[in-house]
Amino acid sequence: MLNSIPSFARLVAELAKFPGIGNKTATRLAFFLLRQPKVQAEALAEAILDLQRNTRFCSVCFHITEQDPCSLCCDTRRDETLICVVEEPQALMAIERSRSFKGHYHVLHGALSPLDGVGPEDLKITPLIKRLEQGGVQELLIATNFTVEGDATALYLAKLVQPLGIRVTRLAYGIPMGSELEYVDEATVNRAVEGRRDI
Amino acid sequence: MNPNISPAIILHHTDYGEADRIVTFLTPEHGRLKGFARAARKSRKRFGASLEPCAEVQLHWTARGSGNLVSLRDAELVDLHSGLRRDLETLTLAGYGCELADVLFDESGVGVEVFHLLQAFLNHLDTQGYSVEARLLLEIRMLSVAGYLPHLQHCADCSGPLPKGAVSFSAALDGSLCPDCDAGRATLKIDRMTLGTFGKIMQTPLTSFADFKLSPLSRKEGQLLLSDALRCYLHRPLRSLEFLNRFSPDETS
Ligand SMILES: [Zn+2]
Ligand SMILES: [Zn+2]
Repeated sequence: MLNSIPSFARLVAELAKFPGIGNKTATRLAFFLLRQPKVQAEALAEAILDLQRNTRFCSVCFHITEQDPCSLCCDTRRDETLICVVEEPQALMAIERSRSFKGHYHVLHGALSPLDGVGPEDLKITPLIKRLEQGGVQELLIATNFTVEGDATALYLAKLVQPLGIRVTRLAYGIPMGSELEYVDEATVNRAVEGRRDI
Repeated sequence: MNPNISPAIILHHTDYGEADRIVTFLTPEHGRLKGFARAARKSRKRFGASLEPCAEVQLHWTARGSGNLVSLRDAELVDLHSGLRRDLETLTLAGYGCELADVLFDESGVGVEVFHLLQAFLNHLDTQGYSVEARLLLEIRMLSVAGYLPHLQHCADCSGPLPKGAVSFSAALDGSLCPDCDAGRATLKIDRMTLGTFGKIMQTPLTSFADFKLSPLSRKEGQLLLSDALRCYLHRPLRSLEFLNRFSPDETS
């Protein structure tokens, strides 16, 4: 049936590519958009294009940003002796929401996964080491997820960074094994940052 | 539909969409299966940490209408094996064990033996940590359970005795070869003592890992001969193997 309305079918197909959205939901959303005034549709299309055009990864910490370096990296009130390493931008946002951390960040964009063939060279590890070698950093707080992949990454980083004479710590209390930070509540993340322990 | 309830070891998982997960697991009775775990990443109520690779669990699942993917309903954690996370070598070796079980076996037969072998291997690493011996014991027993054990202590061609000292070996030619049968075909030379050591290992129980100590020569040659045998029978290179060779403290060559 949809084939007879190609532009409608095309939108449904594009929407169905979103995470957690199947054909049924995509069709519902397409009908919703169909009934919107033209300005609304244009605003949505613009917003999507702007996101693509204006955002990039910060060349220092690899968080998503519109200005390079990002506002977190440029913030002089933040503690420069402390860097927190996370797997994904979502985890950085989770820690920011918890308001427990006042240092700088580094986003790896993934985690080591022997069974999926994801190695150190697939992550932003070399730029992290370069940052640390420039000096000034006293503590690296590893906030990778509490999964096998997150733990493997933490162990690997600790091995790499400890010889540089930098204290390496890991989030500790309250975060259940198997957890991804993105899905952990703020209070728990806060407690985990406060109670970080040495590796 | 009545759910299947069975002990299982989680071998691997892949994220599916935003919150779901596809999990590969090993059971004693049904062999290696793949299951769909809805909302496993987001909601921790149902599965918690029980779908983490290397975890031993009590798994509940039902068959799905079509395809070979089952639906995971519930999982009770028996042992997360958190001791595996003590260092990178141990964790990588445990992952390698899981991948080996994943590629060597499927839904058919041999489930019980592989399950107990992998379970004992993970329990051992959990408490004792990495060792080359644990890796070699696992490899030779996995090959044996899969029916791929090469001939070690007699000639693979004529069943005759092997000479003292260096013996010709090629997994592609079924194992050790006497000088007459070899005729320059085999690529490896393995000391007869090493072959004897691994022959003896095959007489020990499948699940015993403690108190094995091999000589440096047996460790080195054991790795050569078992790598040759595994290369011969695996239909794809193991992703965890590159990691293992990179992060393990004891190098072969
Ligand atoms: Zn930045
Ligand atoms: Zn012969």
